[in-house]
Amino acid sequence: MIFLEFDFLRYALIIGLMIGVVAPVAGVFVVVRKTPMIADAMSHTALTGIAFHLWLASYLVWLSEWNPLYTGILFTFIVSFLIEYLRRRFQAFQELSIPVVMASAIGLGVVFISLADGFNNDLFNYLFGSILTVNAADAVVIGIISAVSLLLFLLFYKELLFLAFDEEQAAVNGIPVQRVNLLFAGITAVIVASSISILGVLLVSALITLPAAAALRVASTFKSMFLYAVVFGETAVLAGFFASYYYDLSSGGTIAVVSFLIWTIIVLAEKVAGQRRQRPWKEAKWTDKANQ
Amino acid sequence: MEDSTKTLLEVNHLSFRYESELVLDDINMNINQGDFVGLVGPNGSGKSTLVRVLLGLHKHYQGEVRWFGTPVRQFHQWPKIGYVSQKANRFNAGFPVTVYEVVAMGLYGKKGLLRFLNRKDKQRIHEALEQVDMLGYKKKNMGRLSGGQQQRVFIARALVSDPEVLILDEPTVGVDAASAQAFYERLSHWNREKGITLILVTHDVGAMTKYVTKVACLNQQLHFHGTTREFEESDLAGAYGHDVHIIHHEHDHHAGGA
Repeated sequence: MIFLEFDFLRYALIIGLMIGVVAPVAGVFVVVRKTPMIADAMSHTALTGIAFHLWLASYLVWLSEWNPLYTGILFTFIVSFLIEYLRRRFQAFQELSIPVVMASAIGLGVVFISLADGFNNDLFNYLFGSILTVNAADAVVIGIISAVSLLLFLLFYKELLFLAFDEEQAAVNGIPVQRVNLLFAGITAVIVASSISILGVLLVSALITLPAAAALRVASTFKSMFLYAVVFGETAVLAGFFASYYYDLSSGGTIAVVSFLIWTIIVLAEKVAGQRRQRPWKEAKWTDKANQ
Repeated sequence: MEDSTKTLLEVNHLSFRYESELVLDDINMNINQGDFVGLVGPNGSGKSTLVRVLLGLHKHYQGEVRWFGTPVRQFHQWPKIGYVSQKANRFNAGFPVTVYEVVAMGLYGKKGLLRFLNRKDKQRIHEALEQVDMLGYKKKNMGRLSGGQQQRVFIARALVSDPEVLILDEPTVGVDAASAQAFYERLSHWNREKGITLILVTHDVGAMTKYVTKVACLNQQLHFHGTTREFEESDLAGAYGHDVHIIHHEHDHHAGGA
């Protein structure tokens, strides 16, 4: 393991392994809530924040000391609440809240990019991800974000599951629907923005949605879906890491391609096995307990 | 518990508009502990809307709705009320969730935030599954059950928090007559033996009057609210029964033709 002697590679691997857990875990909820586009909307918003930061840094020199990603995280965090607000405010067309926010964020982002004197190398790295840019501080920040996110997922597991399964019934049962939705949006935003360092804006949604989509095919219980998603996610991350190191391929691109391959293999295996989603069992009858 | 006239639900001068259309017009009714109420009315008569108002899902109503004496807007003891929605089994069939996991959800609101299920809760989930004869299916994937079986799991989910009231919205749609009858028998049993108050929303008047103790006829306004005997003696029984039977047969015909 010669490459681990290089600090930046060690940090890249640590960050990758952490993202490989939290992104697919968030993805499980994103997928079962049927809002897969939310990861894309948030990652593009992060780009807006990054562009804003780069533009501002050309005037405020002290800002260039900061990682622009943190401004990106701040932007996604704010926008996640905006999406939730729009979803509630325009319930009849709630699926529009994501594209409305996404298109506006990209527009604003492009304006910031032009203000910051166009596309430079930095921005290119954020679009496609680069493991060469991470350092110890990033590893610490992403480590804290991952730990807190996982803890919150664990603590609010039952509410998140109920909301994903049946929001109306959850409301009737006294689950604080709005607050839990906001919490979920906030956690997802932060995870998405953190994943940008290795995956890039355009490919974050690959590690959020693809492992979870594959897990959806094989899991029979909700809990097992997390396990499958994380295994698939980590496989993709490790493949991306080694492809990047040994063959100089893009880490984000490889992660997306491997995730897609895992999903494809599962779907094909399902076809071959054929009978996985069987017919319903025959109807059970109510026993005559009333007359006992 | 000797006081059999304890009022659980009071509805006074309740009106509800959807956009500009008046859906519920000056509804007044009381439901007492131990009642088995059949809420009947043709399709589009506002039955489901009324239920949604009672459950606090529609907040912009006029008038007064009280559960256990508390106005519904301030009511927080929702675990006391079990609800099985009409569209409960229109969930995403690909959702990887087991029967056990679905029934467990019924306890989540009662447990509250940051609390996990303990051994007693798990025991309670088993009991609820037993009550609907579905314990043998607890590890099965929800999406692979038949519609009738899913319905029962949702009833178990409503029962698991030991509610005082159980509201069922059209539970027998798509269920054959024999199964529906067995189902009504079971409801009646829970009502008599466990003292659970039941509100059964249905357009199937004929089958239901044998079991319920009170009938409420809704068609925008509440046309009748009284005991089953009074209902059968009134001429409304014919009107509603007739109206409703036509709809019922249309359903059968449609299903047969499909």
